[in-house]
Formats: sequence, structure tokens, C-alpha cells
Amino acid sequence: MSTRGLITRDLRVAVQGNEILKGIDLTIEPGRVHALMGPNGSGKSTLAFTMAGHPGYEVQSGSVTLDGEELLSLPPDKRAKAGLFLSFQYPAAIPGVSVANFLRTARMAVRPEDLNPTKFRKLVFEKLDTLDMDAAFLGRYVNDGFSGGEKKRLEMLQMALLAPKYAVLDETDSGLDVDALQAVGKSVNALRESEEGQDMGFLVITHYPRILKHVPADVVHIMIDGRIVKTGGPELADQIERDGYDGVRDEVAAARA
Amino acid sequence: MPSGAAETIAALPFAPTAAVLEAAIALLARTDDGGAIDSTIRREAFAAFEALPVPGARPGRGWKHDYAKLSYDDLRWTNGRVTMPAAPRRPAAARPDREVDQPALATDNAGGLYHIGATFVDAPSDADPRVTVKPFDAATARAFAAELAGVHGTLVDWRADKFAALATAFQNCGAFVRIPAGVVLDAPIQLVFATAPDAEAVFPHIVVIVEAGARATILERHVGEGDPFVCGIVEAHVADDAQLDYVAIQQTGEAARAFVSRSAYCGRNATMSWHLAELGGTLARTVLNARLANPGARSETAALFFNTGMQHVDLTTGTDHVVGPTTSDTVVRSAATDRGQGRYVGNIVIRPKAHGSDASLRDDALLLSKRAHIDSVPALEIAANDVKAFHGATVGSLDEDALFYVGSRGIPRPEALRLIALGFFEPVIARFPSEALRDEIRTALDAKIDDATEFVS
Repeated sequence: MSTRGLITRDLRVAVQGNEILKGIDLTIEPGRVHALMGPNGSGKSTLAFTMAGHPGYEVQSGSVTLDGEELLSLPPDKRAKAGLFLSFQYPAAIPGVSVANFLRTARMAVRPEDLNPTKFRKLVFEKLDTLDMDAAFLGRYVNDGFSGGEKKRLEMLQMALLAPKYAVLDETDSGLDVDALQAVGKSVNALRESEEGQDMGFLVITHYPRILKHVPADVVHIMIDGRIVKTGGPELADQIERDGYDGVRDEVAAARA
Repeated sequence: MPSGAAETIAALPFAPTAAVLEAAIALLARTDDGGAIDSTIRREAFAAFEALPVPGARPGRGWKHDYAKLSYDDLRWTNGRVTMPAAPRRPAAARPDREVDQPALATDNAGGLYHIGATFVDAPSDADPRVTVKPFDAATARAFAAELAGVHGTLVDWRADKFAALATAFQNCGAFVRIPAGVVLDAPIQLVFATAPDAEAVFPHIVVIVEAGARATILERHVGEGDPFVCGIVEAHVADDAQLDYVAIQQTGEAARAFVSRSAYCGRNATMSWHLAELGGTLARTVLNARLANPGARSETAALFFNTGMQHVDLTTGTDHVVGPTTSDTVVRSAATDRGQGRYVGNIVIRPKAHGSDASLRDDALLLSKRAHIDSVPALEIAANDVKAFHGATVGSLDEDALFYVGSRGIPRPEALRLIALGFFEPVIARFPSEALRDEIRTALDAKIDDATEFVS
């Protein structure tokens, strides 16, 4: 049995005593894009933070493995080193720390083995170009005074430079204009076409189907009230766009009755 | 020691008593020129020292966190010896027992004076000939009496400041610096006070006169291991259209005490910039004042301290908008961990005639351990209309969301803490006037994080 993939099994998570995730089973295979859709408050971001190791989320049972390695016992930095990347919905500002310094420190932490400064610089400029980002970005403090679009671009830049095995994109489309959304799509697709990114698995968490126009999903999951209630192909996203979440909700209720 | 030195360097055990002061005055009388400060003034200053309260100890005010929390109570006043050196000094080459070997001194300088303890030992050989940089002794006091009048003993009011009074009573070294009108210096003037091999009390007086239209950077450093008692005064007169960047870096040994009161006067369209990094010592008290006495005058104050172990820092800034329009901008960043204690008092006064003035004061403190403590006391006193005044102060701990964010990028928690904490100081570091200085301070702060025992929360 292959253990490759970013896999959750019966994951139950509580926040301040309230159970939010009520048994999540998901398998993100290498090279595939999974979309996780659901209405606000369904637990999507809780899943993302739990995978990345935020201390505020209490795992009550279950497992999260990355290519067979259990993540739940690891601190956030070890999860990143194992190959997980979380693109934050609301990335934190780090005043006084330049983007250039942060990128270099993160890359050195995650992949200490390779890349001399010249090559790293070249790589950064390539990725900036893909994202339509100005080099002046590098001198600014991380997310400090950034617009919503700039923050998400910086998330994508980090993802491209860290080249993880699996990336969780938490509401990366929220608050983005069309240009920024296109840049995100371009960045993900460029990474998937690159040698180091071709086996990357993605979990794209979103409320609206529109990001899936730019990052086409192979599999779509619908989460409602802490459970995956439906899994299907890209057509499921179209259904959500057409009918909203009420249709799926009714379907699930009918199936239970 | 070469013969001859013993006659010019006289030493006695130091304690802040009238008897020791009289012994010091007697020593000075035996030397050629009697010292830079008249013995009458010394006695008056000593009386003021004895009469004045420890700064911030305000009986009856009922402040919850008073200066008493700082370690003034534990001050060991008797600290080794005090010397009363007099001219002529001997160059470093003749003093193999005392070496200035700080790598920080190796930069290009427009001039400077290096001291070991209170003893002037060397000056850079490539000093700019346009600039006057003299040890502050009786000969200097006589030769520059006209320039010193209205500056020395005036800008820092020792009658109102206990430690300035002590510094005046026992003055035993210092510098007189004059930048002539219109002279613009690229390189800094370095005034270095390195620790003597044995404990020594050092009472420097530094007087700086930047004449009209001149520009200079002065770098005052307190360096070295050991545990000196430093108690000094800095007075800077910045004339019309002149600009002075004054950098003070205190990196004394961990048992050292360093008390320095600094004050500047700004002429018309003059700019005074204070840059302060308190990094060493066990107890440091610093006052940074600027008196904006003429229209167009501007002061900028950027100060930081980072207290680890048992370090206490007591910082006061004071900006006096005497007339308008004048502007001031003050930024202070402080952090403490372990049992570090700090206090920042930021005073801004805008007087009735200071219409059109603009004052800004921003003060942020970061606490990195449970037993660390920093008090922040900003105070604005505005007596003029039509002014802009801003002040903001925060005291907080590291942001867990930021730590998680950095951690999620593969950076281990101790490194994430370091990154965020160092970033916290950047708004002050960025204002230091050269990249070499900025890097030096970053490196020093980084090393302090290594030394802190309770950094990882």
C-alpha cells in the first residue's frame, strides 16, 4: 500500500472545546489539485491551520501524514521541512524584516543543502517575473503595509521558492482582483510545469469557484459543518456556482433521511 | 610604567564623599594646571549632588512603578579608584600596559580621542586639520573659554540633575570638539572610553560646538570588559543651519554603571540628531535633551535598549519647543528579557511661543520573559495653539500569529523569535547614520539574544 500523499484520517479538531472538524478523511495525491469548497464556518481554515500546526487547534483524534510521515507530533517548522506549505488567508506582518532576508532565511531553513547566493538571486528574480512583482518588493518589510493582493503574491512567491511537496492554499482568492487572481493561477501552473513542482499536490481551499477557473481542480470536495459531505470531479464546482451550497445541503439531508 | 607618568596620573580610592572630593581637588592642585573645572564649582556641584534625590524617586507621587524598581538602591558607590590625570598625556605607544584594541576604532575618522579609563591615550593620526578635538582639561578650558561660555555647565543643568552634579564635581576627562563654520565632515569624530584594567570611575565632559552651516557626526563609545563607573555630561551647541548627528553606543562590561546626561541647543534651521544604543552595563541612565530655541530648528531622537540578565536601563528624552515653527521626531524601541528592567520617560514641551510646531513621539517596548519589565511614561505639555503633536506608546510581547507564520516557513521557533525581535528594533537602527554602524548594532543585538537565558518563550 502506497502512503504517498497528504493524507488525513478521521481527523477531529476542536477550538476552545468546540469540535469543528468531525472526522476528515482526505487524500491529496502527488501531482493532483484538490479543491475544498464550503460555506463560511464549515471548518476549511481549521483544517489548513491544523495541518500546518497552529497551537490554537486541539487535535482530538486522527492523523495527518505527508508521504507516510506523521505531521501532528511535529512543530510547524518541521512540517515545512517535511514538505508542507500553507498559503495563509491573512498572512502576518513582520515589521523590520525585509522580504529578501525572510525568503533567504526560509529557503535555507527548508532546504539547507543547495543553492548558492547567485543562483538564489536568479531564482528569486525569475519567480518575481512570473508573479508580475517589482524587485522593490524585496526591500520592503514582510507583509507590513501590504495590500491584499501584494500579500497573496508574496505567499505565492514563497511557495515557488520553497517548492514544497504539498501546498494548502487557504482562500488565496479572497479579496483579489482579476489581475492578482491571474497572477496566482500563473504562479501555480508555472510551478506545476517545472521540474521541481511537477509532483506537487495542492489543496485549494475556497468559498467561491472562481479560482478554479485559473487553477483547475482534478477533484472537488464539499465541506459542510466539519464534514466532507460530497466528493466529485470539476463538475461539482460548476454545480456550486449554479446552485450555491444549499443544493448540496439538501442532497445530504435527503440522503440521511 | 615609564618614568614621568606617575607624576601626571594621580589616583585615589573613589567614593562620593566630601573627603574624597577634597582629596581629588588637592591632587589636581598638585598638577600643572588644576583641572578643567574650578574647585569652587566642584564643591557646589557636590553639594547639589548630595541634596538632589535619585532621579525619578518622587516621594508622595504614589507612582506604582517608580525608579525605585531600578537598581539605584543597590548602587555600589565605592568602585575602585578615581584618577585625576592632567596634561600632558602620553601616547598609547608609550603605554604598553594599556592598549586600545577595539576593532570598532579601526574605521576612518575625521578626528577623535581614545581613553583608557579616564586617561587620554591616543588620537587618530589622520585627523582633519580643520577640526578642533582636544582633551577637556584646564588648558583647553582656558584656551576656549569664549566658546565654552554659555555651553559648558549650561546646557546640562547640574543644579537640577543629581548625576550631572556628581559628574561636575569629579570631572576627570572628556573632550572639546569644534567644527568651524561651513565645514562638512564625511567621516565621524570618535570619542572612545575603554575600560581600564582595574575598576575606575570615569567622569567625562564632552562639549561640542558645530558652527553655522557645518555638519558632523560624532560617535561616543563606551566599550570594554570590567566594571567601571561612568558618570558624564555631553553638551552640544548646534548653530544656525548646522547639523549634528550624535551617536552614543554603550557597550560596557556587564557589571558597569553608565550615567550620561546629554543636551543640545539648536540654532535657526539647525538639526540635532541623537542616536543611542544602550547595550551593555548593569545599570545605565541616559538623558537625551534637545532645546529647539530658534525657528526652523529640528531634533530627531532614535534610541534603543535591550536588557538581558539583570540589566537595568533608565532612559529619558526631552524635547523643548521653545519657539515655532520647530519640529521633533522621537522613536524609541526597547526590549527586555530575563530579569531585565527598563524605564522610558519621554517629555515633549511645546511652549506658548512655539506656534506651528510639530512634535512626534513613538515608543514601543517588547517584553520577552515573565520577569522582564519596562515602564513607558510619555508626557506631552502643550501651551501653544496651532501645533501638531503625536505620541503613541505600546508595551507588548511577541505576536504568536507572526511566530506561527514564520515557523510555517520552516524556521525553528528560536530563530523565528530572533528574527522578529531583531526586526522590532529596525525602525531605530535604520536611523543610525551609516551602514557600518547599523550592522554593528544588529550584530550586537544578535549577540545579546545568544546571551539571554530566557529568550525562548
